[in-house]
Amino acid sequence: MASISLPMGQTKAAPRPKLSEYLRWSVDHKIIGVQYIALALFFFIVGGGLAMLIRAELLTPAQDFMADGEAYNSLFTMHATIMIFMWIIPMFAGFGNYIVPLQLGAKDMAFPWLNAFAFWLLVPAGFLLLLGYFVGPAATGWTAYPPLSVFFATDGQTLWAISVHLLGISSILGAINFIVTIMNMRPKGMGLFQMPLFVWAVLATSIIQVMATPFLAGAVTLLILDRVAGTAFFDPSRGGDVLLWQNIFWFYSHPAVYIMVLPGMGILSEVLSVHSRKPVFGYRMIALSSMAIALVGFTVWAHHMFTSLQPELRIPFMITSMIIAVPTGIKIFGWIGTVWGGKIRFNGAMLFALGFLSMFVIGGITGVMLAAVPVDIHLHDTYFVVSHFHFVLFGGSVFAIYAGLYHWWPKITGRLMDERLAHIHFWITYVSFLLTFFPMHLAGMQGMPRRVAEYAPEFQTMNILISIGGFVLGVSTFIILYNMIWSIYRGRISGSNPWRALTLEWMTTSPPPAYNFRGEPIPYDDPYGYGTEASAVYIDTMAAKLDAPFMVAPKGDSAGKLETGNQPAGD
Amino acid sequence: MNLGKSKSGAAGLINVWTIVAGVVIIIGGFLIGLVTPGILPVQASSEAAQVDELFRWLLTIGGAIFLLVEGLLLYSVIRFRRKPGDDSDGPPIHGNVTLELIWTGIPAIIVLFLVIYSYSVWVDIRAPKSDEMVVRAVGQRYNWAFTYTDPLNRLTNVEQQTFTDSVLHTYVGRPVLLEMETRDVNHAFWVPTMRIKQDLLAGRTTTIRFTPTREGRYRIVCTELCGGGHGAMYSFIEVHPDETSYLAAFIDPRVDLILNPPADPVLQGAALLAQNIYPCSGCHVLADEDNGIAWSGLTGPSLQAIGETAQRRAGPSGQANAAEYIAHSIRHPNDYIVPGFAAGLMPQFGPFAQQPADWSASEGAYYYPMSDDDLVRIVSYLCTRTSTGENACGEDPVERDALIQEAVAVQREQ
Repeated sequence: MASISLPMGQTKAAPRPKLSEYLRWSVDHKIIGVQYIALALFFFIVGGGLAMLIRAELLTPAQDFMADGEAYNSLFTMHATIMIFMWIIPMFAGFGNYIVPLQLGAKDMAFPWLNAFAFWLLVPAGFLLLLGYFVGPAATGWTAYPPLSVFFATDGQTLWAISVHLLGISSILGAINFIVTIMNMRPKGMGLFQMPLFVWAVLATSIIQVMATPFLAGAVTLLILDRVAGTAFFDPSRGGDVLLWQNIFWFYSHPAVYIMVLPGMGILSEVLSVHSRKPVFGYRMIALSSMAIALVGFTVWAHHMFTSLQPELRIPFMITSMIIAVPTGIKIFGWIGTVWGGKIRFNGAMLFALGFLSMFVIGGITGVMLAAVPVDIHLHDTYFVVSHFHFVLFGGSVFAIYAGLYHWWPKITGRLMDERLAHIHFWITYVSFLLTFFPMHLAGMQGMPRRVAEYAPEFQTMNILISIGGFVLGVSTFIILYNMIWSIYRGRISGSNPWRALTLEWMTTSPPPAYNFRGEPIPYDDPYGYGTEASAVYIDTMAAKLDAPFMVAPKGDSAGKLETGNQPAGD
Repeated sequence: MNLGKSKSGAAGLINVWTIVAGVVIIIGGFLIGLVTPGILPVQASSEAAQVDELFRWLLTIGGAIFLLVEGLLLYSVIRFRRKPGDDSDGPPIHGNVTLELIWTGIPAIIVLFLVIYSYSVWVDIRAPKSDEMVVRAVGQRYNWAFTYTDPLNRLTNVEQQTFTDSVLHTYVGRPVLLEMETRDVNHAFWVPTMRIKQDLLAGRTTTIRFTPTREGRYRIVCTELCGGGHGAMYSFIEVHPDETSYLAAFIDPRVDLILNPPADPVLQGAALLAQNIYPCSGCHVLADEDNGIAWSGLTGPSLQAIGETAQRRAGPSGQANAAEYIAHSIRHPNDYIVPGFAAGLMPQFGPFAQQPADWSASEGAYYYPMSDDDLVRIVSYLCTRTSTGENACGEDPVERDALIQEAVAVQREQ
């Protein structure tokens, strides 16, 4: 086993970037990546605030917090819409934008102008969504079922639909960019099966986005027409059909959940491997299972309609929904195989990656329960479903986002986040997450429907516990936000490769220069080839080349002492 | 630690631990599955028993997988943490085909089992039963109305052949077939204790079948977002112990009411409201035990003392008297909104003659036709809703009836 062969003194800090650089149009994928991340984090706070209001209302069985039931309905409608379209999807677009070209050794994305355009579409989209608050916000759930959304909704519903159009276009354009970049801009020696798994994940996600999102566009177009042009796509009294909406909507929205989780799974593979110093177990299966999930994901949509779909069709969708558990299981066991036998470092990134594993498996199990039609008949549209999707979207995707932030923050900013704060952040998040969402399984099973401001009194104690957990979870977000901002000013300088990782993004300075690499970057032939002498030599040689020009003499009497940039707290 | 096959003694020890862990996981899964009755509501239908058993299997298998994955994780974070000062890498293990086949194959087999089992439960639940009691259900924002026929066919010669109630009456052992429609948006009918749920879809009649097996009163919950009052849209299913008590407690009194209607319009109005012919119970508060009215709606004002309120507000709102105020409020609900409540929620209960072709074009949430006769009866009853017990529309019955008839007639011109 190799060890660090060169002393790594303190590296000089890169000059802090100017705020104005990020507020204007830029075609540099790194700036666009940060723009996506910053916008997404902003909307994470907005969406989280709405969740706090929901939990405040649900402290009592009566509808007594919001002005009325409609106002409450707009809370979860906007919460979900914002979290899906303005937090998770843009956040992963941000990571993808920043990291994928770097991992491919490329200077930028294939279509830099299109890249910027796709980002800036989010600004009017977000604006339109929030504009809804002035005319009566959308309040029909993010699922917007007609006739409610056609005949009994405010103008905010139309604004919502137009906003969704813009968000969808942004998603499709970004995806086209990723597919072309990944298929065409890999360096020499990096075949498809030498790509990092994060790149595989982004490729699979992008394929879904390109194929599925047009259906969402179709659905909201028909909705807008019914609302403003007097058409009758969804009006049964004039030949329309309410199930038409449900089928088109879910044909997109089920694949959408894989859009929201696959990049996170890509991050998992990166983080688990690097921070246990072991290759990914079953690289090929993990790569191919991402594609399998992407494809099979298009065959399951009507499991969201088990109580409205014609009964004869329910079993086929049950079959496909159960099948998709298999590639998911392959990943989970592959990841366990990755950490097994390794040398695990408990830094922020690893904690949240392990947290993802422990929470996502619960979400996966409840997903299989929901796939069984007779059981879903009881659980559909109850808090059991709310619990299931928060386990996979928060315990899954958000935890993966946190892991990605802790893992790639040094690359983006050149600074390390504070590890003690990261531990505090993790434990508060983990415990409050469980307190918030686990009891929801029970509430749903015992009779509490979702999307209600008023509920049967016997559920109050559980709801109070859930709300307390929710408030703590909401506050915990600010720990990482503080850590991010603090580290930009006071964080330890990270150097090019604080984690001693093998993928190409670490083979350039932190942050990278404008054109990412000096000369042609040469990837190591195995992005997860830890545990060999050759990999250690590759890492050390690259680090020496990259950091030597920036090294400064260590201060005071620490001269001559070995100092590395990756000492997590409590290790 | 090498994950490949090995013939050394150490590998033998690992195999023992693997078997022990496997046994613990399977037993643990069973134990977890046993909590099923404790976390699900009481079983009130034959379907519930089957669904719960399927759920117990899902929880058992899920529990075992949970113990396996969390156990492996827990073990890993303890056993494989980096030792202080050790900056070396772990072993360069890239995979193991046998393991990959195992953890692909076993989940596939489990999934196959679950599909077959679930399918068999589904077929059973869906199958038509013999001698089903057919009840028609209508959902609307925000209440439920169930329509019954007399099993003893005593209403064949009268105009009203069916009767409605906001409570679903059934009895133990009799299969029920609900045929459901919605008057406005999609709703969903869910009885948690019976584990059955079915959406009500605009433009369609949907059906659900179940067989109650336990006496009692159980909640019916709407489980499809239908507007601001979605959480308030609940009712009850009353399962009588047998057919005899079902007839005696529910059917017979209602048939009697139809065959021998009270002459008093006040009682006729009370019966209309109690039977949920019009969807008032979902939004308004009104308690009148003697007449079987127990409304606890949220989205509309209380009608408990509407008689007095009408007397007070008639003048300021340009109506001649309390009866006109009440009649006007029903025919033109958006003309005056009580502070604190929202406009556009109450349906417009207009005359049949003025019903528009487009049901969503109305002064209220939607148009719901109500005859003048019914309006007279309802106004007559609501006039009696006062805190003092006085009749807000006059004490002399003859004068009062004429007043109310006039009040209703006047609405036609407005």
